[in-house]
Amino acid sequence: MMSSEMLQMMKNKLNQQKVTALVTITFHPEPSYLGKMLLVCEDGSSYYEQSEMEFFEISIKEWCQHLIQKRKSKTITIQINNLDVEFFVEVVPPPPHLIIAGAGHVGKALVQMSSMLGYYITIVDDRPEFARQDILPLANEVICESYIEFFQKCTITANTWIVLLTRGHQFDVFSLQELLKRTETPAYIGMIGSRRRIAGVFEELREEFPDNIFDHIYTPVGLDLGAETPSEIAVSILAEMLMVKNNKSGHSLSTQIRRLAKLGFRGG
Amino acid sequence: MDNIKLMEKAVSLHVSGETAALATIISKKGSIPRNVGSKMIIFRDGQIIGTVGGGCGEGEVIEKAFDVIDTGIPKKHKVDLTKGLFYEDGGICGGIFEVFIEPLKKVHPH
Repeated sequence: MMSSEMLQMMKNKLNQQKVTALVTITFHPEPSYLGKMLLVCEDGSSYYEQSEMEFFEISIKEWCQHLIQKRKSKTITIQINNLDVEFFVEVVPPPPHLIIAGAGHVGKALVQMSSMLGYYITIVDDRPEFARQDILPLANEVICESYIEFFQKCTITANTWIVLLTRGHQFDVFSLQELLKRTETPAYIGMIGSRRRIAGVFEELREEFPDNIFDHIYTPVGLDLGAETPSEIAVSILAEMLMVKNNKSGHSLSTQIRRLAKLGFRGG
Repeated sequence: MDNIKLMEKAVSLHVSGETAALATIISKKGSIPRNVGSKMIIFRDGQIIGTVGGGCGEGEVIEKAFDVIDTGIPKKHKVDLTKGLFYEDGGICGGIFEVFIEPLKKVHPH
């Protein structure tokens, strides 16, 4: 079992957007080793408490780096001094960072739902009466700042997800322009708005940023679910984000099997 | 509850010496409801936090976790969901997974 120190160490690395691997001994001929753990980080550092773990760390370290690269958790059996030792290497990537611009109705619903999905949530609004931690308790960070200033300097990585839901379409567009000026590319930018308004925005943006392919920009935001209320819109946005993250179609899972279902299932 | 929150919960239960166990899916084959790394905390009264996929398979893991809680010795257990496509409460996924179950409270042998 992991100690609180090891957990804290892991969380520190995750907050720095570093991928970690938690290693547990899941088989060893000597039962007292079962459940012993060590932590390996993508930056090459490792952490363990008992000195005897150093021995295991040397054997499993390279595997950990390999699995961190592949973002894949796996059990690995290694012969150590003629004994088979099984390790479970759990790759723990940093939680995706969700930045929500606008703490209105939809922003609030999105904070609640994305918190269930394990996002690290930053919400920004330029109105002090809306950007309040007490009305957004599930957000990890609540920032009161102008959108333009915020998007000029906020940290953006390939693990950053941005949803623009401000009170006025012009603030969404200003934010998007700032984001397009940045050299870093986030995983996703979603912007709310009607199809008609967005058509105009794109014409403008194409002139301003002729080299950009806008592949990671999703606007109007969300999947086509007929969402209307703030909560429904939040579902549609998160469904789209999940679709992008897992590189899936967003279709009903039953679509492909429907034809087969008509032929009748057979018990296995 | 996501995995990091479950780990935090397990560590805090471990620190307070709760009679509970932690089960983690460590390998899988075929189609199973949850991925490798999914976790569930099991209390001695049968309460759980998190899930290793629900249904009969999860019930089996809970049973085994009681042994682990009582003996204080970690143990691996293989759950086979391939038998009978529509058996009892819908273990219809058709795969095999293995869990590692460890006690959150150490039992000191006399």
